Amino acid sequence: MNLILKVWGFYARSAALRSIAPFIPVIALWAIVAESGMFPRVFFPGPAEVVSSFGSLVYKGILPEYLEDSVVRLAVGAAAGLALGIPLGVLVGLSSRAHAMLWPALLFFQAIGDIAWLPILLIWFGFGLTTVTFVIVYTVLFPVVLNTVLGVLSVPIVMHRAAQSLGASHLRIVWEVVLPGAMPNIITGVRNGLGYGWRALIAAEMIVGTSGIGFLMFDARRAGSVVEILLGMIVLGLLWYVVDDWVLVPIERVTVQRWGLVTRCG
Amino acid sequence: MNNLTLRHLSKTYFDPYAGAHVTAVQDVSLEVKQGEFVSIVGRSGCGKTTLLNMIAGFIPVTGGEILLDGRAIDGPGPDRGVVFQSFALFPWKTVLQNVAFGPRMRGLPDAECERIAREYLALVGLAEVAERYPAELSGGMQQRVGVVRALANNPDVLLMDEPFASVDAQTRMTLQEELTRIWLERRPTIVFVTHDVEEAVFLANRVVVLCKGRVLNEIDVPLPRPRAWDRLIEDAKFKQLSKEVLQRVRAE
Repeated sequence: MNLILKVWGFYARSAALRSIAPFIPVIALWAIVAESGMFPRVFFPGPAEVVSSFGSLVYKGILPEYLEDSVVRLAVGAAAGLALGIPLGVLVGLSSRAHAMLWPALLFFQAIGDIAWLPILLIWFGFGLTTVTFVIVYTVLFPVVLNTVLGVLSVPIVMHRAAQSLGASHLRIVWEVVLPGAMPNIITGVRNGLGYGWRALIAAEMIVGTSGIGFLMFDARRAGSVVEILLGMIVLGLLWYVVDDWVLVPIERVTVQRWGLVTRCG
Repeated sequence: MNNLTLRHLSKTYFDPYAGAHVTAVQDVSLEVKQGEFVSIVGRSGCGKTTLLNMIAGFIPVTGGEILLDGRAIDGPGPDRGVVFQSFALFPWKTVLQNVAFGPRMRGLPDAECERIAREYLALVGLAEVAERYPAELSGGMQQRVGVVRALANNPDVLLMDEPFASVDAQTRMTLQEELTRIWLERRPTIVFVTHDVEEAVFLANRVVVLCKGRVLNEIDVPLPRPRAWDRLIEDAKFKQLSKEVLQRVRAE
């Protein structure tokens, strides 16, 4: 008993293992069900088959290539979405005139989901990168804009006043006060935007794609390879975890958490 | 001479809930000389914060004018430094960056900004925490930063809006003594708004009693400096002045 506790203590202390630990029972259950022969193996492969499929797809270079395609598409689309969304959010948040003009349109277009654009985009741009990029930018844009507006409005008026009475110009106030003050909400917007963007990308790749993780999964369906479909699903989950835990959380930790704007991250 | 002059100042709001105009400040005229320390004291709702916000340029006046060094003020500006009740430090800037903010906005070189900021932080004994963020400081330390952030910009007038109201009583006494010491050393012009009668008398050369948006009284405070609570708390003249101001404040 003591030994078990000690081993558990060792695992609990290690951060990397701690994030893996919750998955151990899930994988174990999966393996047991697969081994039991309850379902035909072709329809319900076990973890071992998925791992060996992972190995072979990496070996053939297909998985790394598709993964890179998907990640680059998301990165490019997200960068464009942020470059458009943050300035637009600041404008709408600061100017009541811009708010009155743009807010109804923002809500209207937000409601037309990413996938709802695909039919018309396919007619306009065909089965290509333009269509995929449009969908991602569109998907990333709205959560970023709406959260940035929220963040800008949440900066207390006393902060503006303090900066003004210290001689800051309007432009300096935007840069030195409004943007950092809106940071917690902007990060939330980026997180939501990337999350939705990632899903939209996979969906777009399934319909439009010639490469990418979404294409890999849909192509596997055509070939009847459940192993590769499962592998694709696992890769999606893992990749998102990595982006959140290795990129977003550290950014939060050195900014908004250090500033005392939020008390805990992750 | 950078005198601050208020002439027949008034402020009327439209209160959408009451559906009527509310007068916050009425025909206030006041002269503050360079290097003077003036306290404005009154009950809550007497218009003292509205008055200060107008001098700071945060809200427009309804009538009358505000002159600084003979020129009418127009909006907020670095010639009038403000210390806020809620401190209003920038949480995303270190203590040093907060204090250096004003000089930086004036376009001084980085090294000069840092030198000024460190000098002022040393003035209030905060040289050690220069690299920390405001959230990591106690309330008393935060407001010390608030005071020197405004001072480091070398304003013509320092406007203070109940700056010590949200710190504990012991810290408040220390901060009040520090402020009188800084005033003696540097002689900034200060307009200090408070509801605390003893604070008003302890700090100022002159106490202005505000009641229902009007100046009710101006009382000179000829107490010697440097002032310290240990001595003044038992001082007959201090007690008598405080009593006099309190009676005015409580008079309807």
